[in-house]
Amino acid sequence: MNEPIILLIIGIIIILILVFLFYPGKGIIARVKRSKNASKKILIEDALKYLYNCEYNQVVCSLNGVAGNLSISADDATDIISKLESLGLVDAKKNELVLTPDGRSYALRIIRVHRLWEKYLADETSISENEWHKKAEEIEHMLTPEQANLLAAQIGNPVFDPHGDPIPSENGELPIKKGKLLTEMQPGEFANIIHIEDEPYAIYSQIIAEGLYPGMQIRMIAVSDKRIKFVANGEECVLSPLIAKNITVGIKKLEKKISENYKTLSSLKVGEQGTILGIAKSLRGQQRRRLMDLGIVPGTKIEAELESVTGDPVAYRVRGTTVALRKQQADRIYLEG
Amino acid sequence: MSDSDLRKETILAAANNLRWEVGDNLHDTLMESIYENATSIANKVVEYPDKKQAFSLDRTLDKVLTSRYLGFPIMFMILAVVFWITIVGANYPSVFISSILVDSLHPMLKNFTNSFMPWWLSGLLIDGAYLAMAWVVSVMLPPMAIFFPVYTLLEDFGYLPRVAFNMDPLYKKVGAHGRQALTMAMGFGCNAAGVVATRVIDSPRERLIAIITNNFSLCNGRWPTQILIATIFIGAAAPAYLAGIASAAAVVFVAVLGITFSLIVSWGLSKTLLKGEASAFSLELPPYRPPRLLQTLYTSLIDRTIFVLWRAVVFALPAGMVIWLIANVTIEGNSLANHFINWANPAAFIFGLNGVIILAYIIAIPANEIVIPTVLMLTVANLGLNNLGSGSGVMFELDSVADTAQILHAGGWTLLTGINLMLFSLLHNPCSTTIYTIYKETKSVKWTVISTFLPIILGLTVTFFVTQLWRIFS
Repeated sequence: MNEPIILLIIGIIIILILVFLFYPGKGIIARVKRSKNASKKILIEDALKYLYNCEYNQVVCSLNGVAGNLSISADDATDIISKLESLGLVDAKKNELVLTPDGRSYALRIIRVHRLWEKYLADETSISENEWHKKAEEIEHMLTPEQANLLAAQIGNPVFDPHGDPIPSENGELPIKKGKLLTEMQPGEFANIIHIEDEPYAIYSQIIAEGLYPGMQIRMIAVSDKRIKFVANGEECVLSPLIAKNITVGIKKLEKKISENYKTLSSLKVGEQGTILGIAKSLRGQQRRRLMDLGIVPGTKIEAELESVTGDPVAYRVRGTTVALRKQQADRIYLEG
Repeated sequence: MSDSDLRKETILAAANNLRWEVGDNLHDTLMESIYENATSIANKVVEYPDKKQAFSLDRTLDKVLTSRYLGFPIMFMILAVVFWITIVGANYPSVFISSILVDSLHPMLKNFTNSFMPWWLSGLLIDGAYLAMAWVVSVMLPPMAIFFPVYTLLEDFGYLPRVAFNMDPLYKKVGAHGRQALTMAMGFGCNAAGVVATRVIDSPRERLIAIITNNFSLCNGRWPTQILIATIFIGAAAPAYLAGIASAAAVVFVAVLGITFSLIVSWGLSKTLLKGEASAFSLELPPYRPPRLLQTLYTSLIDRTIFVLWRAVVFALPAGMVIWLIANVTIEGNSLANHFINWANPAAFIFGLNGVIILAYIIAIPANEIVIPTVLMLTVANLGLNNLGSGSGVMFELDSVADTAQILHAGGWTLLTGINLMLFSLLHNPCSTTIYTIYKETKSVKWTVISTFLPIILGLTVTFFVTQLWRIFS
């Protein structure tokens, strides 16, 4: 009589155990994988990377900085640094930690894999941009230089990662840092976002939530101690200086200036026509190529033809064919205003 | 290093340095400017002939077919009519082919081969291989020969892309492509053809989702099983005047359950296993045009019907032999089938099924169409009812539903067994034709294995919980 009840309970327990084990990100298996990653080698490599970033940004780097960045205790940080010294990768002078040439090239190898992987995730997969950095943090410790070269060749030897950071070449070359911070712009100035710092994560995700991305053209309206106000994609955007400091801007030579008046494809009402100005840089890789294949390139006339039952997707007439696009895509295609 | 090598190195280094200067989107900028020039030239020199008339008719049709109030009702009506034509219309040719291949030709062949072959060879070849093949052809061919041309006509006319267009929001929510609605509808005809049809989905991630979930569409081979079991068990449990409606409602419920599962699994896959696969959406809406009848008939018969049927036949031949062998090879006086059934019964009981059903689903993997004949043959053999059926290892079906019900009841089937069989028939591995097609389309053992075992695990889980709850509350 009670048999089905016992079986039912056993069944539920098995399912709970499986969920407990395999739940993505939080399950036991995911945790074990993560804790295995926190090995000494990884700490050493992360420390080198941090030291290199300090050097590149011309900031003095201290032991406390290392401990804070790797979220480890000061004792552990001392441990790591002395290990790095004994390997001949770091010189410790008074309060300052300096990379040796060997340490620099080691750090650049890690950074190269990290940025290549971010570029790969952005262009070839549908993983969301919030996760690029996290995934690259894992993979950077696993690929050999040979594998990194193969990967680079496969994605067209890119020179910038999707955040706008330069990717070190095979021989460890990097361009001199250029551009200025968003907070240093003058009102009325035009510029392109060339870099968005992806650490700390909390600030990065706020910037992403605003819809800002490297390559985007912006026009500054007002700069003050309290807020930075500028136009991006035809919309006004306000950031606090604390956040704006994580954005670097610069002027690109080959880029033509997008006129001030433009609107998104999704703003077209059925029956209205427009001329395409361009596709946002945030539509990448396969998505971008597909749109171009369909004839969505600058100068082409496009007309909103038909709304589906729920209003999304909308069918557009372009080059004599009718193509349905989702709102999420149409938001990122610009028309002459 | 020679002089020219040195020069080459210098040039390469200079080029590499310049790459930092031009930025990350040089390729796009180049391509866009080429297109831009081409467009401006084309605008000057190309004239488009006036096609206003046809175009405005298209727009009127589009306005109706994708309108807020009429869009979905029209879609459901058209699909209902297609399925009704397929299920009802297939019955007559099916009976006709079956009467030739199974009722007439089978005994003739049997008598003929018996005259010069030992009994086991003619049993293996005629009762096993030939009969399985004949069964698959007679049950599979007619619905496909009706469904595929009708489907292709709708496709050719231009209606199906509009269905995808209307359904897209729903599929977008579960991380899939609107065209999955079409491949799913195709799956109702045949999962193997549905898997091939996913070629229209140009985004790799969404295509994989569509392939893996296609099996949740109740295919032609499973409709007859559903209808038969619903009539015997659900219909009989309802009051006599409601029997027809109750069993029809049960079948529709199972089909809708399949659609629900396909959406849930799509969502789960896009959030977990397939999270990283590339994704790009676009959906072309071709102009409407009068369907080309003859060409449609030809292509749907050759490309889809014959293609699927051929693969099914290839798999049915060896499976027929296996079916015959396990019923006729005996160890210690009991056939292999009986050994397996008795061994599997206790485990199957937990899932509210029985050993016969488990064995039938394992050996009838080439086609869902032969599951019921195999179940009947195994039940009769297992119970030792020698007066019924056509002999050891020979699949059969009965004309009368009442007789079929009698055999199943004698085999210990209850309403719960019936319900679980309907659920398991929806949620089990795809037939071997579909599995092979999935492998051909994905070229990946991993996705083939996942598409094969995911539905079985789901099916066993669902039947398990249904069974326990049923036993607790009844």
